[in-house]
Amino acid sequence: MKVLGISYGYHDASATLVIDGQIVAAMAEERLTRQKHDAHFPTYAIRHCLAAGGIGTQDLDKVVFHEDPHTKFTRVITASLAPFPHSRREFVNSAKSWLGNKLWALNTLSARLDLEPEKITYVGHHFSHAAQAFMGSGFERSAILIVDAVGDWSSTALFTGEWVDGRPEIERVTEIAFPHSLGLVYSAITAYLGFRPNDSEATTMALAAFGTPRFADVFREIIVAEPDGTYTVDQRYFNFANFYKGAYTDALVERLGPARDSGAPLGLDCLNPDATLSEEEQRFADIAASIQCVLEERILGLCSVLHTAAQTENLCLAGGVAFNCVANQRILDDSAFTSLYIPPDPGDGGTSVGTALYTAAQAGDLTPTGLCHSAYLGKSFDEGPVLEMIEHVNPAHFRQYMKAGVDAAQNKTWKVERFDREDGFTELCAAVADRLMQGQLVGWFQGNFEMGPRALGNRSLLARPDDLDAARRLSTLVKNRAPYRPYAFSVTDADALALLDIPADQVRFHRWMQLAVPVRAEAADTVRAALHVDHTTRPQVCFAEDNPRYHAILSAFGDRYGKSVLLNTSFNPSGYPLVASPEEALVMFARTDLDVLVLGDALITKVRPD
Amino acid sequence: MSVIERIKVHALVSIFWRSKARMLSAVNGFQATEADGVWHLLRGIEGADDPKVRATLFEHMIEEESHAEAFGQVCRAESVQAFAPTFYEREDIFPPDTPVWKLIAYVHVGEVDATARFGVLRDALPPGRLKEALKTIVADEEGHIDLTHSLLLELGATESEIRKTYRQVRLRRGWEGWLRSGKRVVNWVAVTLLSAVYFAMAPFFYRTARAKLRQHKVVYDNNRIKGAR
Repeated sequence: MKVLGISYGYHDASATLVIDGQIVAAMAEERLTRQKHDAHFPTYAIRHCLAAGGIGTQDLDKVVFHEDPHTKFTRVITASLAPFPHSRREFVNSAKSWLGNKLWALNTLSARLDLEPEKITYVGHHFSHAAQAFMGSGFERSAILIVDAVGDWSSTALFTGEWVDGRPEIERVTEIAFPHSLGLVYSAITAYLGFRPNDSEATTMALAAFGTPRFADVFREIIVAEPDGTYTVDQRYFNFANFYKGAYTDALVERLGPARDSGAPLGLDCLNPDATLSEEEQRFADIAASIQCVLEERILGLCSVLHTAAQTENLCLAGGVAFNCVANQRILDDSAFTSLYIPPDPGDGGTSVGTALYTAAQAGDLTPTGLCHSAYLGKSFDEGPVLEMIEHVNPAHFRQYMKAGVDAAQNKTWKVERFDREDGFTELCAAVADRLMQGQLVGWFQGNFEMGPRALGNRSLLARPDDLDAARRLSTLVKNRAPYRPYAFSVTDADALALLDIPADQVRFHRWMQLAVPVRAEAADTVRAALHVDHTTRPQVCFAEDNPRYHAILSAFGDRYGKSVLLNTSFNPSGYPLVASPEEALVMFARTDLDVLVLGDALITKVRPD
Repeated sequence: MSVIERIKVHALVSIFWRSKARMLSAVNGFQATEADGVWHLLRGIEGADDPKVRATLFEHMIEEESHAEAFGQVCRAESVQAFAPTFYEREDIFPPDTPVWKLIAYVHVGEVDATARFGVLRDALPPGRLKEALKTIVADEEGHIDLTHSLLLELGATESEIRKTYRQVRLRRGWEGWLRSGKRVVNWVAVTLLSAVYFAMAPFFYRTARAKLRQHKVVYDNNRIKGAR
């Protein structure tokens, strides 16, 4: 059976192709359009998924959409009517958008894919998330927790999942309705802190480590714990039903103080934890710490409900809030669950995976344990044409278009060295490892790009993990990244326990950078540049069977450094998604202070003409 | 640019752009247009066979990307809220197998239009970040006009073929502009009608809506799986 899963319309549009129970390709539209969180119809993701499967649209047996358009439309219109008479703009914009397009998503799919309507179907949004989490987990039976901003109508959903007679059974335990939403509260506080909601929640989480939760009681009053373990949100503080007025109200400002302007200075620095903060800076950090603290408490409450209902030690987690790696680790530390699975892209970009897998499973195409899928499901590229092109590129022509601060006067040219794909790879890794040891910054581009927002060794920027100067250069002259956002590292499975303070049986939970864990005190200096101020990090433990080439460069560096560990961050400039194509990687190499670019088997360096 | 167009731009700056939000919305649109141009050039590079042509397009793309960023920086600097870039739905200008020189001709005509519009805007603006950004951008775009034309000649097109293609592209862009104007009219009509619907219907339904939003739990099954079983 050939199934295409589709998500689009709100954010993170994506497509997934499953053939005979195997994921052939899964990718977010943003990678192919260079628009972060792109919500438009995933034309290019669909095109490349079909190409990867060697099929056309007419070969598809089912196309499955990731939400119920009619339920969602009802919710959106209800939300825009409730604040009457102050919501005309909200109503008009919602009605225009939905009546003009989104309500007819299934018809749109039918028309744009030129398929008969009978082949197009949908599953509920949170059900899509639940399927996405459970189907890839490898668990025979599991509790499933979905927490995001809002789905069709619910914002939080609790399920149980079980394989029965070779078919997955996913049953609802309970759902919390919009506008009671942990995800929306977290996004509203992100906006209050001057960051971009629905995008920069990770920045709020990063800020939390600099503060103490002295406002936690305020948030406990705002997000009220209910006796049954769920929660409600006091709506006086937010404008979720009328967001054109802003995500939060004056009532919140009265409780917390003035909101932060987006351009206001924030002198926090992961690499300089002793920096003195102003009173205002400390207040914002404390607010971030407080919302983080209460978010974790409420999630633990939900876990308690779910554990009682599901009677299993296994938990699958998805929804946008599952990107909160600090809360994820708190679940492992403080809930009754001992085994955790979070898919590579737990957000809306991954719902296309869930819909496709679930539909395939209903046809009997899947087995419960054979599914733990790879994160490397995106498109791959031939680097050859780019390498030919480089011979004709003159860096002097675009010297004035370097990123601010990059020394354009260095007058460097580019040197390309090619290595044999099989026999030369060890030599290539050795050359790169030597340069990393010298403090150089490396762009590492290999094979298919990753599903999900994390760079897992195919679209990664690498640096020596103890080199604070390299990390600063990476932040200011390559990534344009705020200094209060910490870096993370990749480590081979063999060296993971020497660096990370985690039980041995949890090493496999760290394949995709989804949990923040403490680093062993004796290893802190080894990875100083990839630590947060609280001495935690969000590691990727790399197994050779997951990504042999990335494992090889880690090992080559380990031969020189003593530990097979590298600072690893996403290969993208600020505001863009991870680079997809070698041309995009080359643009970033050209305009920033990156020293080395590895495109497949080619090593590109910047050298002075003399 | 015609006198009428110039008057329109001056009116835009002196009247509509008194509202900073409107001005930033427009600049965000410029950012999106430049970023869209970068993406089309990227597509052009992928579609070009000749490495030299790819290299020229690559260098051109880097300049356009810096323009998009310059507009984004104006938005960031002028707004108290976090910058959220405008996005357009990506759509190939030509079918995948179209020769790359057609795309270059399209880009050329776009550069001519952008140079004229941004030039008038630059002259009409008071001193500030946007004016400074436009000075650089207009100078670059003027260079791009020559660059794209030369590239078409390098690719073997004759002057008459090029002029004919420019005319076709202008017709197409004119049609696209006409469609955009039509959409604006439809949008205005829709806003008016839906506003009327809002004031006619909402008084009867808002209490029900508020009651519905007070519910803490989802009371019906919104996860029914239509047809998937």
